[in-house]
Amino acid sequence: MRRLSLRTLGPTLLGILAFLGVLAAIAGRMPLVLLTLVINLLIFAALAYSINFITGLTGYVSFGHVLFMAVGGYGLAYGVGTLHWHPVAGVALGALVSLALALGIGAVTLRFRGVYFAIASQVTALAGFYIVLEVQELGGGQGIVLNVGFEPIAWFYTIWVILAIEVGITYWITHGRLGYGIRSIRADEDAAKTVGVHAAALKLVLFAISGLFAGAAGGVYYWQGSGIFPNEAFSLTFSLIMLAMIVIGGMGTLLGPLFGAVAVYLSSQYFLTVLIGFEFVIIGVLVVVIALFLPEGIVGTLRKYVPELRGLIE
Amino acid sequence: MKRTLAVSNVHKSFGGVRAVRGVSLALEEGHVLGLIGPNGSGKTTLLNLIAGVAKPSKGEITLDGRRIDGLAPHRIVAAGIAKTHQIPRPFLSMTGRENVAVAALYGSNKTRDLPEAMETAGRVLGLVGLAGKEDVASSNLTVQQRKRLEFARVLATGARILLLDEIFAGLSPDELRDAVALFARLQGELGFGALVVEHVMRAVLTVSQHVVVMEEGSKIAEGTPQEVVQNPAVIEAYLGPEAGRAPP
Amino acid sequence: MADFVALFLTDLVLGLLLGCVLAVIAHGLNIIWGVAKVVNVAHGEFIMLGAYGAYFLYLYGGFNPLLSVPIDAAIGLVVGMGFYFGFLYRELRGKESMGLQSELVTLVSTFGLSLVIVNIAQSIWEHPVGILWSPGAAQVGPVPVPFGGLYVAVVSVALIALTDLFLTRTYLGNAIRAYTQDIPATQLMGINPTVVAAVGIGMGFSVTMAGGALLTVWLPTGIDPTKIGILYAPISFVIVVLGGPGKMWGSLVGGLTIGLIINVGQLFLGGSIALATAVAVLTLIPILLFRPEGILR
Repeated sequence: MRRLSLRTLGPTLLGILAFLGVLAAIAGRMPLVLLTLVINLLIFAALAYSINFITGLTGYVSFGHVLFMAVGGYGLAYGVGTLHWHPVAGVALGALVSLALALGIGAVTLRFRGVYFAIASQVTALAGFYIVLEVQELGGGQGIVLNVGFEPIAWFYTIWVILAIEVGITYWITHGRLGYGIRSIRADEDAAKTVGVHAAALKLVLFAISGLFAGAAGGVYYWQGSGIFPNEAFSLTFSLIMLAMIVIGGMGTLLGPLFGAVAVYLSSQYFLTVLIGFEFVIIGVLVVVIALFLPEGIVGTLRKYVPELRGLIE
Repeated sequence: MKRTLAVSNVHKSFGGVRAVRGVSLALEEGHVLGLIGPNGSGKTTLLNLIAGVAKPSKGEITLDGRRIDGLAPHRIVAAGIAKTHQIPRPFLSMTGRENVAVAALYGSNKTRDLPEAMETAGRVLGLVGLAGKEDVASSNLTVQQRKRLEFARVLATGARILLLDEIFAGLSPDELRDAVALFARLQGELGFGALVVEHVMRAVLTVSQHVVVMEEGSKIAEGTPQEVVQNPAVIEAYLGPEAGRAPP
Repeated sequence: MADFVALFLTDLVLGLLLGCVLAVIAHGLNIIWGVAKVVNVAHGEFIMLGAYGAYFLYLYGGFNPLLSVPIDAAIGLVVGMGFYFGFLYRELRGKESMGLQSELVTLVSTFGLSLVIVNIAQSIWEHPVGILWSPGAAQVGPVPVPFGGLYVAVVSVALIALTDLFLTRTYLGNAIRAYTQDIPATQLMGINPTVVAAVGIGMGFSVTMAGGALLTVWLPTGIDPTKIGILYAPISFVIVVLGGPGKMWGSLVGGLTIGLIINVGQLFLGGSIALATAVAVLTLIPILLFRPEGILR
């Protein structure tokens, strides 16, 4: 077994950890406007890393990831509103329910390839929406309003921890034995099976991790929003934004989701001030252009055309 | 202990097409069994049944007496049987070494240690004559090199029974001679058992101790290479019904 | 009991009528799927554009949705060809089938397109807009049959029949069918595959946008850009899978099935259209598991 040292961790991971470290150190002294911006940025990044586990690493495009985010939110709302738990426990509840749901859904839908998986994921999210509308314990069509305090520092550290764990797991997966199995699945799933890769189990584990963290990030998002409403919680826009972030940043990479989150979140905040709705037009155009002409995203393209960066970013 | 693969009375139908109709054969580690037959005679299907890619409709496949038919492909690999693809399917986004490392990491004598897998991969690439191609993207390899990469991958899984689907097809006469010599040398050194499906008669007859002939899903002959080439049923299957008769 | 029978028959009729229009919007996707071997994720947005087309013609020309069908279809043909060259040409050119990477590119790029269209539509129309057209209803025994839905259903089936005639009876139609089966063989026949694919995709968009115009009859609360794509795109996907991708009459079978599940199914689900819709879209999963070639043999 190799011993872990700072040197073996690689500059990308160290860079991300340094970035997170600085944020953690100065969070308490940030002006509120900036802190809110940073919290939302971290939520977006956590969502980007969550979908990266399945879509980025295996190439199974999930068009319905909003389902797990919403389930995380409803878990939180139920935990806090009905069970009167602390919000952090509510986030954990939402994440675990989301994990269980991902296991159940993934066990079936991950058998479908390509287009069929994409459609199945969208359909399960749509069905989730219609089912929640009928569940009175979850507020039905009215949603749930939470009576929680305004605690930006608590939101910050919760999402910070979630994101840090995601980055760590992404690094661990991509740099070890699992990474090779996953890359072989993405390259040619049937051939991967014939050299011994248990493709079904690997995909399911990734999907479950993906669901867990999408749920956790969703929990913090709705804690911060102190309530959840079905029309918004199941809006296709969230699924699309999650996918947009990793497409723009670079699918399956360690740094890509962070870059994508920064690009998508900051541009959405900037264009929001210009014209409502216009921010998504810009993001949509970006996604189209990048998908058609730079399918490896920012990180993949940089690595391809700037050889000096190859050792630095991954 | 020497491992033994036994296929007994295996059938496979796709819809109404009976691709394999009651084939039996046995292969012991250390031996090479040739499987020949005209196009569409069910050879590749039979290989897929053994490798777990498809399930037999009827019949049994055992390894050392234990049933393995119907197991998932990765379980078959774990049991020590690995198959090459007729048309090579390298992981195109990976280098040669990484391709083989996947097999070393997930095969039957899997290592969980990356550097060790890389080392194994390098060694196996050397064995199959791909030294120097370790860090070349597999998408840049020629067809012949891809065939060797396929072979390297099954070797790296640690399989003791190899299912080789037309590894000698599509090679020039010189390449074929080299490939046959390489195969014979490796088989002698490593002592694996191999089921060699082949269209190129000459290659199979050279490398195998025993040959099974299939036609339209059934076994029509079996024996040593010499016996098989003299069998009238085999001549007829390959050259048509007139070939056995004297010209008028 | 008599009440229930009346209710059941009413919902049966409504389900069949709705099923016809769902069939035609899915039919557009089916054609695109058959030609390109990949789905257009922005399908729902083109249904929406078809609906807005009908709205414009209503607003400025006083057209009812039926009259706007041919105009929408013509626009769809042009839009579809533009879509082909913008999104599919690079990925399909010179290939026998679409690889995993190209499939990913198309899925992701067309989803980007859907984001663009939805949000432009949303910033133009903040509130749903609707078409006022009520040709009345006939009472058949206990069952009210709305003429609007009836006309729309008839036109929908006619559209599907027309595409079937075109594909089986004309030279270009046969070329498109040949292309969907075997691209290299198409080239050997001396057919330019680019033209064939462009026309095929154009035809798919034609049907989709015409279907969007017809769908307006079933949108009592008006055209809402946030709702159309999210609901009718997945429904179209499910219908195509139910009927079997590439099977032209499969769209109708799938559409009627979904229409019935939603309208009749809600009777058995406590009157909840929401739950019935959930059940309808989830039929995708067992179909993919057990009948991946669709319910039609």
